[in-house]
Amino acid sequence: MTVDQASSPAVGRPRPTAKTGRTRSTARTGPSMTTRKHRAFYMFASPWIIGFSLLTIAPMAYALWLSFTTYDGISPHWHYVGLGNYRELMGDSVTWDALGRAGLFALTSVPLSIIAGLALAVLVNRPLKARGLFRTLLYLPAVVPPVGAGIAFKNLFDQNSGAANGALTFFGFDAIGWLADPYARYVLVMTVLWAAGNIMIISLAGLQDVPRELHEAARIDGASAWRAFRSITVPLLSPVLLFQTVTGVIASVQTIMPMLLAPTAGTGGLTSIPQSNYTYMIHVFAEYFALGRYGYASALLWVLFLLILIATGLIFKFTSGVVFYNVDPEAQK
Amino acid sequence: MHPRAGAPLSRRRFLALSAAGAGVGAAALNGCALQVSTGVSGAGETITVMAKADDLGPDLVKQAKKDTGISIKRVDYDITKLIAMLTSGSPPDLVRGVGAVDAAFYAARDVMQELDSYFATSSVLRPDDLDPVNDLWRYDGKVQGKGPRYGLAKDFSQDSMYWYNTAAFDKKHVAYPSETEPITFEEWLDHAQHLVQRSKGQTTVFGGSYNGLVKLTLMATMTASAGGSLFADDFTRVDFTTPEARKVLAWYLDYCRLKVGPSPVLPDPNGWDGPTYQAGRMAMSNNGYWMGGMIGADKKLAEVSRLAPAPVFAGGPRISACQGGTGMWMPRKARNKDAAWRVFEWFFGEAPAKARASSGWGIPSLKSLRSLMPHQEDFQKRTLSAQRNELKHFSVVAVSPYISGDGFESLFNQAATPAMHGEMSVDRLAGRLNSVINQQIKRGKEQVG
Repeated sequence: MTVDQASSPAVGRPRPTAKTGRTRSTARTGPSMTTRKHRAFYMFASPWIIGFSLLTIAPMAYALWLSFTTYDGISPHWHYVGLGNYRELMGDSVTWDALGRAGLFALTSVPLSIIAGLALAVLVNRPLKARGLFRTLLYLPAVVPPVGAGIAFKNLFDQNSGAANGALTFFGFDAIGWLADPYARYVLVMTVLWAAGNIMIISLAGLQDVPRELHEAARIDGASAWRAFRSITVPLLSPVLLFQTVTGVIASVQTIMPMLLAPTAGTGGLTSIPQSNYTYMIHVFAEYFALGRYGYASALLWVLFLLILIATGLIFKFTSGVVFYNVDPEAQK
Repeated sequence: MHPRAGAPLSRRRFLALSAAGAGVGAAALNGCALQVSTGVSGAGETITVMAKADDLGPDLVKQAKKDTGISIKRVDYDITKLIAMLTSGSPPDLVRGVGAVDAAFYAARDVMQELDSYFATSSVLRPDDLDPVNDLWRYDGKVQGKGPRYGLAKDFSQDSMYWYNTAAFDKKHVAYPSETEPITFEEWLDHAQHLVQRSKGQTTVFGGSYNGLVKLTLMATMTASAGGSLFADDFTRVDFTTPEARKVLAWYLDYCRLKVGPSPVLPDPNGWDGPTYQAGRMAMSNNGYWMGGMIGADKKLAEVSRLAPAPVFAGGPRISACQGGTGMWMPRKARNKDAAWRVFEWFFGEAPAKARASSGWGIPSLKSLRSLMPHQEDFQKRTLSAQRNELKHFSVVAVSPYISGDGFESLFNQAATPAMHGEMSVDRLAGRLNSVINQQIKRGKEQVG
């Protein structure tokens, strides 16, 4: 056995002997400190790596394989179709309509929920009485399970017995069919805004990191509160806002909330989702479990995965000039 | 080349080891999955039953152990889980199913166990004692209703019938429908229009609900009532453009557009008619005998409730099919078939079947249990009489094995919603439905082979 010493980065390490391949020191005392460190790193990391391989890489690879077939889960005569499913989805108007609705939902719900969350964070960052209580109450909806939220919203916005229409009719207006087309999309956006406490809590953490002396200096220079917020707070919060934008977009195009707002729960609920809420993931779910098209649905998922990667890349590209990272240059050296 | 002992683990080797570890882990997990209910039969054994808690609650599980000596591990019915279990080769031993839509679909895909040999030797479930509704669970490779048996209905109803609330009729001065002679679908819709009550855009009382059990069987049975057939003879196509199917489609769109009852454009958050009808907010409800179990438990509601025959189309035959026939089937790859069959016999022919028959929540699927149907109180006598009269018009309406109930419903609602809003004509919708549903049927046919 030979060792390429020229390429070895282990400058200063004990050198192996040509005869045994062992280092003199390890022959006497076991593995070196560096080896032990590497081992420790891999031992600690391996549960995650194994979990990631089993629960993410393997299912994704399996889905990729399925996307080249007509497999439906149970039938005996499925076959390989190459890129057939991908070609089909390119011409499938239902798919593109569903993607368009998901995109529209992301474009409306993400900015609105970030603005709402940030506004709430600014409010509860002020020295108020019972500030802790307000923070808790505003954050509470974010910890309600989506299923519970779906039931609550269904009852709240029921056309005939919901509180929303109760208020409208009380003031002399006609009731609205909130859970049917075309209003169902607004209820869907409201479910996201209702849970804006999640964004509030992250923004609040960001706000508390903004150095107070910057605001004091601005005030001495005569800057208004709005100007200080725009020129100091927002730039310093920009990494947090970027994080919320990226995760918000990913979450909103993958939402299954329309299913929880449908009159019937479960797979059957798919069949009663109003068209305005028939978003991409609902379409994927319908293709998988209502129509049994595992191959086609897997292709849909892979396309969504790629689109999310592209969207995330574009968000990073277009925000690179406006996101301000407050990094200590000394620490970077 | 072997790595040196004590050398740092390279990233490449680490990833290779991780992949190997993942493989071993996957094999171990698969092994665990295969341990579910293996190699047992008869008393003292354990079977896995995929059912809803309503079908098989903890008390029944305990009773099964006591009566048969077999332990039951119940897993919640979930189509995604069922497919995962079937695919992994460790299916449940018994599975809940809706005979009308599931039997032909799964039998055609060869995942169901033929049960004829079990029935032939059973002293509990004798073929001559089986109600004709159990024919929904038969499939001969081409047509539902004939050939080997693949399952059994736990009970059934004629799901085109409807209940009505006499108080709602009195309030609007509408004459009660007959409890023996059917009205036409047009008359039913006319009644619903008179009975619906609205205020400021809200429907305070629905005139009537008519959505069937699932759209697939609703459309198939209504088209049969109009004197036609939704499917081609070989079940490889639907045709909504025939005069009969078009008539059905037009009627259903009118029902949705008039907003007299729950539909995709006027959803009822209760998800089904029971609570709405019980609250006095629905004048007519398209449900069969089984809903009498709920109505009979509420004395005030029972007093004003009547069960009426399935409506007909003018000039069409009188057909009153079962659109469900919910029961159980045994997967072909079930591991404890003998023990599963014993539980099957017990569930469909012994104590649980007798309890169900006497509860009023459906007609028993064994003829010998009919005498247990509740008939003491006035409401029960009246309902039973209407039901007995309707049984003369029972028939099995076969559906295509190449499309699932959920698949049909999903495609139907997606295509029909614009028409329900009045944005698409009946003829255009009929063409659209033919296109999308026939495409799905074609795929199903290719996969069944």
